[in-house]
Amino acid sequence: MPSQIVSLDVNGERREFIAAPGATLLACLRESLGLTAAKRGCAQGACGTCTVLVDGRPEAACLVAVETVAGSAIRTLEGVATGGDLDEVQSAFIDCFATQCGFCTPGMIMVAEALLDRDPDPSEADVIEAISGNVCRCTGYRPIVIAILEAARRRRERAVTR
Amino acid sequence: MVIQAVHVPESVDAVVTCSARGGLLMGGGTVVMPLVNSGSAAVTELVSLRRAGMDGIEVSDGVATIGAAATLAAVGEHPGLAFLRPALRTIASPTIRNQATVGGNLFVPQPYGDLAVCLLALEATCELAGPAGRREAPVADVLTTGIAPGEVVVAVRFALPEPGTWHYHKAMRRRLNSAAIVTVASVTSAGDYRIALGGLAPRPVRAVSAERLLRGRPLTPESLTEAGEAARADIDPFDDAYASAWYRARVLPVHLRRAFLPESP
Amino acid sequence: MTYRLAPIDTGAFAAERDGGDLTVIGSVVRRSDARGHVTGRTEFFEDVAPPRLAHLKMHRSARHHARIRDVDATEALAVPGVLRVLTHADVPNNLYTVLKLIGVQPDDEPVLAVDKVRYLGEPICAVVAETEAAALEGAARVKVAYDDLPPVFDVEEALREGAPLVNEYQGQNHFVYEGHHCRRIRFGDVREAFARADHVFEWRYQSAPIEQAPVETTGCVVVPQADGRLRIHSDTQACFFTLDNTALILGTPFNKLRIVGGTVGGGFGGKVDVVVEPIACVAAMAVDRPVKFVYDRAEEMQVSSPRAAERIYIKDAVMGDGRITGRQVTLYVDAGAYARHTPYGTTKAAAHLPGPYSIPNVWADCHCVFTNRTPSSAMRGFGVTIADFALESQMDRIARALGMDPLQLRLLNAYRDGDLKAHRKVAKGTALVEVIQKAAELAGHELPETYRRMSSTSREGL
Repeated sequence: MPSQIVSLDVNGERREFIAAPGATLLACLRESLGLTAAKRGCAQGACGTCTVLVDGRPEAACLVAVETVAGSAIRTLEGVATGGDLDEVQSAFIDCFATQCGFCTPGMIMVAEALLDRDPDPSEADVIEAISGNVCRCTGYRPIVIAILEAARRRRERAVTR
Repeated sequence: MVIQAVHVPESVDAVVTCSARGGLLMGGGTVVMPLVNSGSAAVTELVSLRRAGMDGIEVSDGVATIGAAATLAAVGEHPGLAFLRPALRTIASPTIRNQATVGGNLFVPQPYGDLAVCLLALEATCELAGPAGRREAPVADVLTTGIAPGEVVVAVRFALPEPGTWHYHKAMRRRLNSAAIVTVASVTSAGDYRIALGGLAPRPVRAVSAERLLRGRPLTPESLTEAGEAARADIDPFDDAYASAWYRARVLPVHLRRAFLPESP
Repeated sequence: MTYRLAPIDTGAFAAERDGGDLTVIGSVVRRSDARGHVTGRTEFFEDVAPPRLAHLKMHRSARHHARIRDVDATEALAVPGVLRVLTHADVPNNLYTVLKLIGVQPDDEPVLAVDKVRYLGEPICAVVAETEAAALEGAARVKVAYDDLPPVFDVEEALREGAPLVNEYQGQNHFVYEGHHCRRIRFGDVREAFARADHVFEWRYQSAPIEQAPVETTGCVVVPQADGRLRIHSDTQACFFTLDNTALILGTPFNKLRIVGGTVGGGFGGKVDVVVEPIACVAAMAVDRPVKFVYDRAEEMQVSSPRAAERIYIKDAVMGDGRITGRQVTLYVDAGAYARHTPYGTTKAAAHLPGPYSIPNVWADCHCVFTNRTPSSAMRGFGVTIADFALESQMDRIARALGMDPLQLRLLNAYRDGDLKAHRKVAKGTALVEVIQKAAELAGHELPETYRRMSSTSREGL
């Protein structure tokens, strides 16, 4: 079977590209669409740094053969900020020192986005469970957990003031 | 090998056709895609179940029927399958549970496959489709002898356990997202125990020696420890990065006890 | 959930603070690179995607120790998309050692194996292909015929008479320090100390190799430039160290290479060796195209150099009141098959002995040993960390054996400003006494008045 034209809705835009058989969603995002926020850390679903949202749910993009999600809505870290404005998760990650080398950050933020979309007031245990598939070797996780809880608080606050 | 085609069939019949031609079945890709990514897949064609309409979950009249392509997340979120939720939360991470499927869980090597351990304790039935038509098989048979070339598990079916009769416990290296050192799943009914073990053999196994010993006896720390020791006859433990075979066998009685008496030390 | 910020102790060493505003420790500081990280715009080396990028994958040794009888790349070259299969003959200066930049000799490691493999996973052939999948397939199809040699995996076995010789370039299974078989410390007379001691305690400690496991694996993208130079995008922790070593291996002037780096997805010491860049440069020149060589996760775990395994024997002469009067240490560092940074790590271990304590008689032999294991190298405080584990375990065990408070034992033996250390350096700026006192206070661990009054700058209470 030759390479195929695959169409995805990526961060709200319809994108088409040619994919070789067996190409992963991760490879297509990075190499065909130039969206390099999602990283390759292990290529086996163990590190979580390639996590993107597929139809609203976090998935390890390295485990997704792109043909199997043709037509799906994909959300990546590039689609999180609006213009130059960071969202609550991004700004909380900066303020709470939740990034060090930055390599796990794209996956951590996408998992946090999915969590807060589903549950605006997660407990500490909920946050820890949500990021349990994401490896960070620098921070020891605690600043990341704090940042996600802080982001939830800011988002709730903003919802009230609106 | 280099992958030449990824089929995404949209019906069970089309899955069987692709599978019969030698394509490797792939549920969520959590097991197959790492092989593809490292160039070590032994096939050139993949058959994805993602669009085959095999992901339905139905619970009615005390019977659950779960499509093989249903994700672990979907099972965990189904209101009729709440008893399985704690078990599902011990499997991988929420992200991977959005991808990993019920059918795939039957074919992963131990110490993975904790849902398969549950299904073994539940005495689930597998609905299979293949070039020769449809058939049913006990999950125990599928776990031990596999399925025929070209066949696919379409769904698993089991009777819901009565309230209070389901027990599950998994010992891991970490609280979340870690493979099994020992997994215990059990359904009890009228002094009869069905006990399945994970992490203790290449495939999930029934602890028949423990079941025999416990039959008609009250569950006490003493009887459970005795049963756990007896269950060493039913296992074939292995060394891996999580634990040694020696350790797994050593702690089996402790975790069997904790499955039934979580409060005991 | 909040940060648990340790209070800043402005009382200690007040005179040295010079009235400055030292408040960074204990506060959250905004990182300059954080905005790039949270928007996904930070550029890691693998985010660079030049046109016509080719991919390199390695065929690696399937043996721990063997002679190479034959290498057959015929099948690899037949894989559609494979461009080149490189062997040692394609590398201008195939033999190297990274610390030659600071005068360490001999060159003891081939970029690609020549006639022998010395550890499991040692690179033998580099396969360059149009796609990653083709490179992987090509690498899998290289055939190597081996004549097995007995391997040695244990540091003490490797030093025994008749042990298999691991590294012919070294000539023996240990690194030679200025004519000596190990890095040594001789201070006072430990034999005398043992003879006069109330107690002699001897215990053994050992550690396994530890993988740094960065989330971003080791790799680089090499892009040939129009002017003939090579631009190397790398996640190395040591840009210029990598540039210089790569130039030496390529036999080119340093100014023919340009390195773009500094953005590292986790290093922890594991990205200090110069392993991917030289062969990726050779490949890029051979096919005259950009080439990417990046480890997969299995390679990162198996062949990237870990923290060295160590084995440490500590024998102490101790008086009834807890004063340690003599310390004898025999320390073995497992370099694996090649030197890399381990001769230096072993020196660091020696420099760290006998720990932050004033002990009048010290004897240490620190051996850098070659075995058929993955070459070890840098990782966060290498040489020091495992020695500290051993030394502090030793202190706890002595305290337990004497029925003493472990902190009091340490305070009694802690070095003070002005003490002569085993390396003939006079200790200054010591603060161990104050750190222990503060830690005890924070932990609610009661110390008697005499111990609370001790100081790094006086001999009070000794």
